[in-house]
Amino acid sequence: MLIPTVPETKPIKLSVRNMAFSYGEKKVLDGLSLDIHAERVTAIIGPSGCGKSTFLKCFNRIHEVSSAVNVSGDMLMDGVDIYRGGIDEVDLRRRVGMVFQKPNPFPKSIYENVAFGPRLFGVSDRTSLDGIVEDALRKAALWDEVKDRLKESATGMSGGQQQRLCIARALAVNPEVLLMDEPCSALDPIATAKIEDLIGELKENLTIVIVTHNMQQAARVSDYTAFFWLGKLVEMDLTERIFTTPRVQMTEDYITGRFG
Amino acid sequence: MGAAPVFRRSRSSKLVDRLMRGVLWAIAILFVVVLILFVGAILKQGWPVLNLSFLTKMPETLDAGGGIKPQIFNSIYLVVLSLGISLPVGLGAGVYMAEYAGKGRALNFLRLCIETLAATPSIVLALFGMIVFVQAMGWSFSIRSGALTLALLNIPVITRVTEVSLLAVPRELKEASYGLGATKLQTILKVALPYAATGILTGLVLTAGRAFGESAILVFTAGTNASAQFPDFRLTVPGETLSVHLWYVTSDGTLPDAREIAAGTAAVMILVLLSLNLLVRLVDRAIRRRTR
Amino acid sequence: MPIGSTLAHPAGIQPGGSRKADPMPDVLETSLTAVPANGGGGSAESRPTVPQAAESPAFRHSRTHRLADRWAHLAFLSCSLLVVGLIGGILFFLASRGLAAFWPVAGNMGRALHLSEVFLSADWAPSSDRFGILPFIAGSLGVTGLALLIAAPAGILTGVFIAKMAPAWMRNLMRQVMDLLVGIPSVVYGIFGLTVVLPLVSHTWLADAPASGFAVSAVILAVMIVPTIVSLSTDAFESLPSSLDEGAQALGSSRWQAIWHVLIPAARPRLLTAAVLGLGRAIGEAMAVQMVIGNNPQWIALMRESTDRAPFLRALFTPAATLTTELVQELPNTAAGSTWNNVLFAMGLLLYLLTMVLILATRRLGRGKEA
Ligand SMILES: Nc1ncnc2c1ncn2[C@@H]1O[C@H](COP(=O)(O)OP(=O)(O)OP(=O)(O)O)[C@@H](O)[C@H]1O
Ligand SMILES: [Mg+2]
Repeated sequence: MLIPTVPETKPIKLSVRNMAFSYGEKKVLDGLSLDIHAERVTAIIGPSGCGKSTFLKCFNRIHEVSSAVNVSGDMLMDGVDIYRGGIDEVDLRRRVGMVFQKPNPFPKSIYENVAFGPRLFGVSDRTSLDGIVEDALRKAALWDEVKDRLKESATGMSGGQQQRLCIARALAVNPEVLLMDEPCSALDPIATAKIEDLIGELKENLTIVIVTHNMQQAARVSDYTAFFWLGKLVEMDLTERIFTTPRVQMTEDYITGRFG
Repeated sequence: MGAAPVFRRSRSSKLVDRLMRGVLWAIAILFVVVLILFVGAILKQGWPVLNLSFLTKMPETLDAGGGIKPQIFNSIYLVVLSLGISLPVGLGAGVYMAEYAGKGRALNFLRLCIETLAATPSIVLALFGMIVFVQAMGWSFSIRSGALTLALLNIPVITRVTEVSLLAVPRELKEASYGLGATKLQTILKVALPYAATGILTGLVLTAGRAFGESAILVFTAGTNASAQFPDFRLTVPGETLSVHLWYVTSDGTLPDAREIAAGTAAVMILVLLSLNLLVRLVDRAIRRRTR
Repeated sequence: MPIGSTLAHPAGIQPGGSRKADPMPDVLETSLTAVPANGGGGSAESRPTVPQAAESPAFRHSRTHRLADRWAHLAFLSCSLLVVGLIGGILFFLASRGLAAFWPVAGNMGRALHLSEVFLSADWAPSSDRFGILPFIAGSLGVTGLALLIAAPAGILTGVFIAKMAPAWMRNLMRQVMDLLVGIPSVVYGIFGLTVVLPLVSHTWLADAPASGFAVSAVILAVMIVPTIVSLSTDAFESLPSSLDEGAQALGSSRWQAIWHVLIPAARPRLLTAAVLGLGRAIGEAMAVQMVIGNNPQWIALMRESTDRAPFLRALFTPAATLTTELVQELPNTAAGSTWNNVLFAMGLLLYLLTMVLILATRRLGRGKEA
């Protein structure tokens, strides 16, 4: 093997074993097994409809809100099964934050958007809220841009700002994992670059899983890359290996744009 | 091979098109004219009667010159009470249908029930209120019988409005809330309902207008007498409203100035409803401007 | 081997295939276990545990939050059940009084009537113990039918006008007009009919002294139900795919031809639904009709006797009565438990059952649309 093996020092945060998923009768994911390391960025790539978003949503069980779903196999976080390990899905969602494809700020002020999460858990005194909001906005590299207009409506911001606001909002409840579903697909290249930088900083103390259709983005931001096809995991490896010497022909074809 | 036939629009089809366009415009304009004539006629008839003393005097039973003070009070009181009863039920049922019922048979059945209740004639609701509240509960013709029966009229409207407004809340917003660890109740109270509030509020004002104009139900549950005290907040006394008064003086015919009283009352009701309509429009516009 | 063939046959990547480009089954495991420096297995327990993010204890839901969540579900559910209960409750209580006319019930003052002497007889003389309600059924059907005859075409055409033809300002104006028309109370419609419309036609060649009867009632009712029909048919036309309209006009049909030959047929199930719901509103309307129809239970006889006008006009301007007007007229004057009173409740029950039938009919129509 040409690429030197880097010793992985980070522990496994999420671990999936032989997982299958279906919306009612419709099987979407099958036989998935993979590990996701803490404080690393894991990218998930694959053609449209192969189940990437679905897979991502399994980690915080958010699809249960609107659809009847079936999950089998094991999904562990810190060694505890998130479906059967006595974990409450509401708690789980606090620990596993999510950023969606389209920025979805609440139609409230910037401040209220970020304070929304903490308020849910009963934080109500002004000073702690102010602290949390500033902290989260700083982490999302948004503070300097909005510190003078925290009371303004979030829907008046640019798309890139909105998306960073959504990241800040997710960070405000102190998640351990951040799921990002094509977070840049609605953004221009400059806003995209900002979010990519942000991802690099955030992984210092977060586990990040990101779905992207942009191969360059996956190559730039991620440490690991998993390639999905028709609801199955084709290959997962260090990102540089996936992009230079994939072991499966299909992966190479997909990355080089020969299909999908 | 012959020459291709020439397809040309016949003169008659052009003529028919012209004619029917004219007819459609005429029908539409007819409705505008009808409305203007209607409102104009009611206001014109009522205008000579409309003055402060008419609005602030107690009604007479046999002589001319009575006012409608207690009827105004009763109308407002009954609308507020009935909304107070129907709002929680309607909101609750609407929330259940939009957020909890899922998409199966249960929801279908619930919808059927709401539609049936919405389509039930008010005279039928009046009969129900008469049997249950007036007779079985022994409350006779009273504000409480009236308010409860009137609530039956409001419930399906509020339920429907709530459900529709909640279904219009973008899924992304709810997901964002859940994604932060909110419980279902928190998501409904803090994200969905505030977003749906303007729609629900508009529906509420329209419901209030409907309740304000309702007469069949109240004739048989709140009665055709107004308390001699003013203001009388007791729930046990009869509470004749403006619309009932209008109907009663017209069909009873003991008042010498029944015509004038009825005309004045009708004008007051039209003015109230026009203002409610304007209010809805202004609120709607203000909100739309703010969210833009 | 060509990639294309693998892609064309997704089954090619199922386990058991033998081609090179068929790597999933074994590569899956290797790729996992080959994640560098982690060795195989990958069981989470064997690894150092993650240092927990400094967790603020505040970010936990209190017991109250959770309990509230559960109880709220129950509360919302009971609101819905209340509505379902109401439907049943109305049926039960109306039936308990209405059916008492036909069965000997304790506390029942009068004799038990035969179904046919109520529903199949036109002889309404309660003081002489004769309870035929046919005049009211016929009256309801007559006045409703007439109203619908005016309101359905006008409403549907206005709907298509608003949805497909009117310029924006006219559309807005029409919406407001309909909003106002639907908000005007029945009694105000009634007083308008009584003081404006009736004098207009009374003592003319149309009618002798008071012109109350079907015609004026139907006109008033038509204006009352038109907003319902307009708003539902506007929705029906607006929800048609625009390709339909464009397609028709691209073939060279005129605006009206497209409406008449394409749009109206395509929207038919929903237009019928609109008409049925308008019908429901009309048949249940009480006060406005009661104020202008003349309230004469003996209208059938009167219509036969009088010979002063052309038969058609005679029919339109004879004071009559309907189910709802008779209820308003007589319910206050009858003692609870008397046969008379019970028959009136039976009329109410009939109205309620009719409502249910109409609603079920709209369901049928709706289903036809989906198929
Ligand atoms: N709520 C749902 N109910 C039923 N089927 C669904 C639902 N959501 C997604 N699916 C189906 O599941 C499959 C996987 O969808 P998913 O959104 O996970 O794909 P994806 O890989 O994220 O695609 P994309 O790249 O386009 O976002 C698709 O076939 C889709 O139609
Ligand atoms: Mg997706």
